[in-house]
Amino acid sequence: MNSTLVSIVIFNIVMALIVSLVFVPVLVWMERRVAGFMQDRLGPNRCNIAGVRLGGLVQSFADMLKLVFKEDYRAGAVKEKMLFTLSPVIVFATAYLSFMAIPFADDLVIDDKSYIMQALPMEFGMLWILAFAGLGIYGLMLGGWASNNKYSLLGGIRAAAQVVSYEAVMGLSIVSMLIVYGSIHMGDMVRFQGNLVWGFIPAWGIIVQPVAAILFIITAFAETNRAPFDIAEGESEIVGGFHTEYSAMRFGLFFVGEYIAMGVASALIVTLFLGGYQIPWLNTEVLKNNITTIFAVLIVTIPILSYMFAGWIKKNNVWLDKNDARNRETKWLITGIVIINIIIILFLGIFLLFGIGENGVNISVAALQVMTFVVKLLMMNFFFIWVRWTLARFRYDQLQNLAWKVLLPIAIANVFITGTFVVMLGV
Amino acid sequence: MVDIIFLGLAIFAIGGGFGMILFSQPMHSAISLIVTLISLGGIFALLSAPFLFMVQIILYAGAIITLLLFIIMFLNIRDDELPDEPNKNITIIIGAILLIPFNILILKAFNTFPEKSMNILGKDFGSIHSFGMELFNKWLVPFELISMLLLASLVGAVVYARKDKNRDG
Repeated sequence: MNSTLVSIVIFNIVMALIVSLVFVPVLVWMERRVAGFMQDRLGPNRCNIAGVRLGGLVQSFADMLKLVFKEDYRAGAVKEKMLFTLSPVIVFATAYLSFMAIPFADDLVIDDKSYIMQALPMEFGMLWILAFAGLGIYGLMLGGWASNNKYSLLGGIRAAAQVVSYEAVMGLSIVSMLIVYGSIHMGDMVRFQGNLVWGFIPAWGIIVQPVAAILFIITAFAETNRAPFDIAEGESEIVGGFHTEYSAMRFGLFFVGEYIAMGVASALIVTLFLGGYQIPWLNTEVLKNNITTIFAVLIVTIPILSYMFAGWIKKNNVWLDKNDARNRETKWLITGIVIINIIIILFLGIFLLFGIGENGVNISVAALQVMTFVVKLLMMNFFFIWVRWTLARFRYDQLQNLAWKVLLPIAIANVFITGTFVVMLGV
Repeated sequence: MVDIIFLGLAIFAIGGGFGMILFSQPMHSAISLIVTLISLGGIFALLSAPFLFMVQIILYAGAIITLLLFIIMFLNIRDDELPDEPNKNITIIIGAILLIPFNILILKAFNTFPEKSMNILGKDFGSIHSFGMELFNKWLVPFELISMLLLASLVGAVVYARKDKNRDG
């Protein structure tokens, strides 16, 4: 227990907190704005703090505050009071705990000692996530049952049936990935994806195993109860499904848990199939050897990108009334961007001029990889939202037919073919 | 520290077992069973068997009990449909008394175990690699036989669940 270990563990846990809990308002904002744009409207963009709106992001915080201060109403018909309260907690806790096994960067080497960059430094990552994916469903089932409401019960039953069917397919698609990667340690999987196929294509899971990738993405949608698989809360049929009877923060926990589950699913897809923290063509070794070049490139590109971003803000946030509070937002945002730029360039310049030693190189590589991971995660989350607002909800029988009659045979065939290939090629 | 965790897990496991037998509402019994299974998983983890711990949670606590709960929810049993169980407490006490000789026997058998050093095993023990090597080298035939047995029961379930054409056309 030295201070390096402690600080790395704390960093990773804080990182897990940021990408799960802190991202929830961001995801809600993304969801509502993207939905707005897809339906040819603007979405929430008026909520502000002294004129600062951040494109509507403030609305999410207002929504969260509203949920916290709402009346915590529980219908008198609810007899299972403990289970009723416990089920949102289960949904939230399992979703949050799943994040513990996601690697944010390659193993960090400090003073010749290697540290796993996961919130829970263990080598059973894949199994851990499968375990909590299975436990999370209890929240929905027990919530639906404890509500003592037919709609809720139907929602709970639907959620259970759906997750049980899709978990089988998910497990099989993961098995074919495990055969390829030869490990259940998430770090090993991502390291494998740092290699190149035939010398020029990054060996990402989606390129090595496209079928498994498609199966896994479909099942991830089903596991998180997101459209087109959101029959557990199909508003047009069963009111709100399992959360019909919930209000205030009890509902809030379901809501937050759902978004964290989406974040976990995205993180898992990124880690398994989209190269995790790897920057394409630049794996950890290459990054370490060329760190000065990368700093130089960053010093040039960051100001250019910031300039373009500032121009975009100036173009879009214009109000005729000069005293409009919203005009101040442009000024503040651009000042903020300039300050951040100055700080980054100052630091990178100092690093370039004076060198940063071995630990410094490793830490900056890790920082780059964490940022890459976060960007990929946000893009995958956007994909989730995109699909939700594009596809219509499946009917219940279609959903089960898809799982058992289409996806499961494909998954089994994929495992068989992958196994045969791996044995044949002796990889 | 390990002892405290073990005590906590053991209390949860035994409490869950009691709950499973004593609750009259089937949903509560199933939930108690989940508690027991998860605590057993924790005990596996304490015994340096992380793979078993994970499998216990994925398969037993995750998949099997989900199916159990699913069926209970499907039946949607109301409180007035539950059996009365008039002499429940007396039956439980008699049952417990009848089991005492058996418990004494088990305790005696437990005491005849030879002394062994209780050290924490090496890091490799119970890891997925060594576990897999053991399972697929030494115990391959039993493993395959069990999988055949499971397959047979699966086919049997499908046969039973299939609609009888003679009966309801």
